[in-house]
Amino acid sequence: MSGMTPPPAGGAPTSARGPGGSIYDLGYQAYIGPRLGRRSAVTALFSQTIRSSFGIGRGGRAKIAPFTLAALAILPAVLAVGFAALAAQAGGSALGDASPIRYATYHSFVSIFIMLFCAAQAPELFGRDQRYGVLPLYFSRVLTRTDYASAKVGGLIAALFLVEVSPYVVLFVGRVLVAPDPITGLSSELPQVPRFVLQAALVAGLLGGLASLIAAWTPRRAYATAAIIAVFIIPPIIVALVGGLTNQDLARAIILFSPGDVLDGTNSAIFGSIPNSPIVASLDLPGWLYVGAAVVEIAAAVGLTIRRYLRIAA
Amino acid sequence: MTLIALQNLTKRYPRGVTALDGLTLDLEPGIIGLVGANGAGKSTLIKILLGLLPPTSGDASVMDLDVRSKGTTIRQFVGYMPEYDCLPPDTSATDFVTHMARMSGLPSTSARERTAEVLRHVGLYEERYRAMGGYSTGMKQRVKLAQALVHGPRLLLLDEPTNGLDPAGRDEMLALVRRTGTEFGIAVIVASHLLGEIERVCDFLVAIDAGRLLRAAPLGAFTERTGVLAVEVEEGETQLADALTARGLQAVADGRTVLLAVSEDAQYDIVRDTVADLALRLVRLEQRRQSLEDLFRDNVPATPAAPAAVGSPPASGPSGGDMPA
Repeated sequence: MSGMTPPPAGGAPTSARGPGGSIYDLGYQAYIGPRLGRRSAVTALFSQTIRSSFGIGRGGRAKIAPFTLAALAILPAVLAVGFAALAAQAGGSALGDASPIRYATYHSFVSIFIMLFCAAQAPELFGRDQRYGVLPLYFSRVLTRTDYASAKVGGLIAALFLVEVSPYVVLFVGRVLVAPDPITGLSSELPQVPRFVLQAALVAGLLGGLASLIAAWTPRRAYATAAIIAVFIIPPIIVALVGGLTNQDLARAIILFSPGDVLDGTNSAIFGSIPNSPIVASLDLPGWLYVGAAVVEIAAAVGLTIRRYLRIAA
Repeated sequence: MTLIALQNLTKRYPRGVTALDGLTLDLEPGIIGLVGANGAGKSTLIKILLGLLPPTSGDASVMDLDVRSKGTTIRQFVGYMPEYDCLPPDTSATDFVTHMARMSGLPSTSARERTAEVLRHVGLYEERYRAMGGYSTGMKQRVKLAQALVHGPRLLLLDEPTNGLDPAGRDEMLALVRRTGTEFGIAVIVASHLLGEIERVCDFLVAIDAGRLLRAAPLGAFTERTGVLAVEVEEGETQLADALTARGLQAVADGRTVLLAVSEDAQYDIVRDTVADLALRLVRLEQRRQSLEDLFRDNVPATPAAPAAVGSPPASGPSGGDMPA
């Protein structure tokens, strides 16, 4: 059967000789094309992870959750821009700081969807290969374990970043267009770009890093989903209880381990706004502390996820 | 060019289990069978060759590349088919094998072309677009082989490729392995605990037991005639053995058969006459070929075969006599 297959593209010589003689005369089935090696494999896994975070390449049903959550995350921004455009047409002011949907407040609209996105997709991205025994196939190729883990974590974080940053981009474009003239619009909106990019990166990094860590340790999908939701939802409640009932010092110590509160803190530090959560506001920690905590925790979560893959049996 | 060189290779697992114990071996390219009972160390050896497990001590190299320092380079040119299930059920064979080709560093167009080619080679046609969860065991084994071949490896490491297959499926898989090795000139190492299967595909055989090398030789040396004659009688086998020994033959009773070393035709007459004299009911006379199972049996054929080998060195090469009892 394979005797009838044409030689590989490029007029492959049937006598490609390796250094050792005729055993490397691979014949017509030989692959003589390029071998791009490790870096190419890592890049391919990274982009495949981003795509499968959105369910692309995994059938129709796999796309429902990620695309719904992404749409819900963008929806408030679209509405805000729409109302602003209507208001501008009616002669009112453009969407000003009076609008409840601003860069500074958007985190509170979007964060719940990012959390749900993590809870829905991370177990799939990290659990599948463990559940179905695919890891030995990866590790017996050019990728190292560190490469595999980094590409996976990086892919999830990149996907989350896309979901997180796109409503800000919608807001930005909308505000520039709705402004009386584009030049003033740009000059007033551009300073906000690095802010929302930074906040989006911190959110994607911290939530994606933690979700990866949990999912990598918990191959069972249902447990991983529950654990991810718990890690995002429960700590802010504990912090609020401790802060409200007992002492603020203890709350100050533990709030940095509550990812939801840390990101609320970074948001208010970055945009110079009042924190969304009352407990973050009342504890009144310096903003850089939240940003620092977020950076350290992202590094720790990514590092521990890689460590998990260095030790996993395969 | 040495395909694989092992120098005193030892692997101990943390809980004190010694999987490989001072294995020293040089292998030339070809189709090589790696036989041993479950737990003999076959999978451990394969994983060390892939660089998936670090050896505890000793050295191993694949295609003159050291497994400790050149793992990534080795893995670029090696295909691995694991023993256990490794296919995600919700992905199609085409998508999966293409992805695995990309993971070996192939550019995406080449990955797709090679996938189509390799899936055709293993005999998957229309099914390849369906999710693998619905595949039969035979189809799954084919996909596992395809993913090991897709990046054009120079060495294939197959761990129990016929696992879970029915007899027809086994035949097909073995034929496929044989064809892959001979037609494409890819060196193949097939690990199996089923000796009868290995016999059918390999040119060279490596037998390991409890992490030690039992024997490494061309297949012919394993299965050639051993100069051992098995005489099966209904009863009185000890009587027969004693009588034959008295007439100058090397004979031992083994269950209902008597094993004896024969080197000339006249000895068959002695056997016939002895059986007749003792009035025993003869069931069969069988020229023993050394079966691979004997490798793992305790010294049964060793006793008669060893003197025979001494008496006529060229007739039967190294036989059971080499083995640790």
